[in-house]
Amino acid sequence: MLKSLLLLFCMATGTAKAEVWPTPDWPIDNTPLDWQAVDAYAFPARPSAERSGIRTDALLIIRDGRILHERYAEPTSAATAHLTWSISKSVLATLLGVAQGEGRFQLQDPVSRFYPAMQAHPGVRMADLLHWASGLDWQEDYEYAPLKSSVVAMLYTRGREDMAAFAAAREAVVSPGQRFRYSSGDSNLLAAALHGMLDAGQYHDYPWQALFTPLAIDSAIWERDRAGTYVGSSYLYLSARDLARIGLLMQRDGRWQDRQLLPKPWVAFNRTVFAEAAALPGEANPGGHWWLNQPLADAARPWPSAPADTYAALGHWGQALYVLPTQKLVIVRYADDRDGSYQHDELLKRILAVLAGEGA
Amino acid sequence: MKRVLLVVLLGVVYWAWQERQALADFPGILSAYSAKEYCSCRFVMGFQPAYCQGYVKQWLPLSLLEEDSQQRQVTAAGLGRRNQAAWQGPREGCRLLP
Repeated sequence: MLKSLLLLFCMATGTAKAEVWPTPDWPIDNTPLDWQAVDAYAFPARPSAERSGIRTDALLIIRDGRILHERYAEPTSAATAHLTWSISKSVLATLLGVAQGEGRFQLQDPVSRFYPAMQAHPGVRMADLLHWASGLDWQEDYEYAPLKSSVVAMLYTRGREDMAAFAAAREAVVSPGQRFRYSSGDSNLLAAALHGMLDAGQYHDYPWQALFTPLAIDSAIWERDRAGTYVGSSYLYLSARDLARIGLLMQRDGRWQDRQLLPKPWVAFNRTVFAEAAALPGEANPGGHWWLNQPLADAARPWPSAPADTYAALGHWGQALYVLPTQKLVIVRYADDRDGSYQHDELLKRILAVLAGEGA
Repeated sequence: MKRVLLVVLLGVVYWAWQERQALADFPGILSAYSAKEYCSCRFVMGFQPAYCQGYVKQWLPLSLLEEDSQQRQVTAAGLGRRNQAAWQGPREGCRLLP
């Protein structure tokens, strides 16, 4: 009798403890799996001087809170805070999720309420920026068309002192909320709006206080412009293991251990496809500042090998944080891809194939 | 023939006028990009100089790429323009100087 009670007790506490969190560090899942096909794709031999082909710097695969596979290519290591480029945008959105949970703004609020320079565009709401649908004129190209690129001008020339002001000074070409047009300017307007909704002096510590510290992220560097605004579009650096913490937070619907850090409807908004976009082959669809494998009307899934509920934060040169909620997978890929060789779908296909072969 | 040339020339002048801001900005991109991203490569990501030189390399050559590792400051020059970036702090990383 006592024995069975004890057994019952162990089972009960066992289930309570079944949920694993990276506190302090990520536990390892020692399931023997053959990652050869994944590594062969992600880490081909690098030609000496030329920066061509697939150049993965880090690959970290987490399942239900445990590391399944982890590999780095020199000089990147587990300790490297790697540039995330536009993954910064989705982390900024996550930070805004905390702010929304604190009641600091609503999705339908005009941006001008928090950032006065947007009084020139009073119809633009927070939700429009999160959908990259401000309607403001923008050319998002990096090195291939530097002459006309708004993002290059914002980061390196005319806009660099005050990036949000540069974005706010763009001309409106479409009504707000009517059309998706990927814009790093929209993301930096969000970073400026965040400033305006916080108490005086709170902004500079806010990413840490609100998000990084609760998640025990200690590798973060977030560069700012001269106006002091976080470069929310581009310049967050995190170790792969720390970026995976953001992934796990999202995979578990905004909850970190016992604390609902992000309101559940916020995560649902992040994961809802913005319909006013055109499907592009192989390109994930915009959600609320995250990228979704959810198909647009009359189109196929962008990544056919991955489930439709897959979503991601994506950045220049192949940076990626994938979340596969059904499979309980969080995948970080850092890279230095300088051409278009790398395909999201191919990596996900190979990872899912490894897991499908488990126990076979 | 002369008339065709004149039309082409006027077209180029018109385009250059339309794009005068972008054209004026263009020469500064190379050195600004190189100074900023090299600074972050070295002092934020913590990579070695040789790696970071390759990391920022573009199809247009720089005439100068120099780091002051004491001050954590980087100077880059190319296309007749010069830009500097400097490390601001452990959470702030690098930023272009005015």
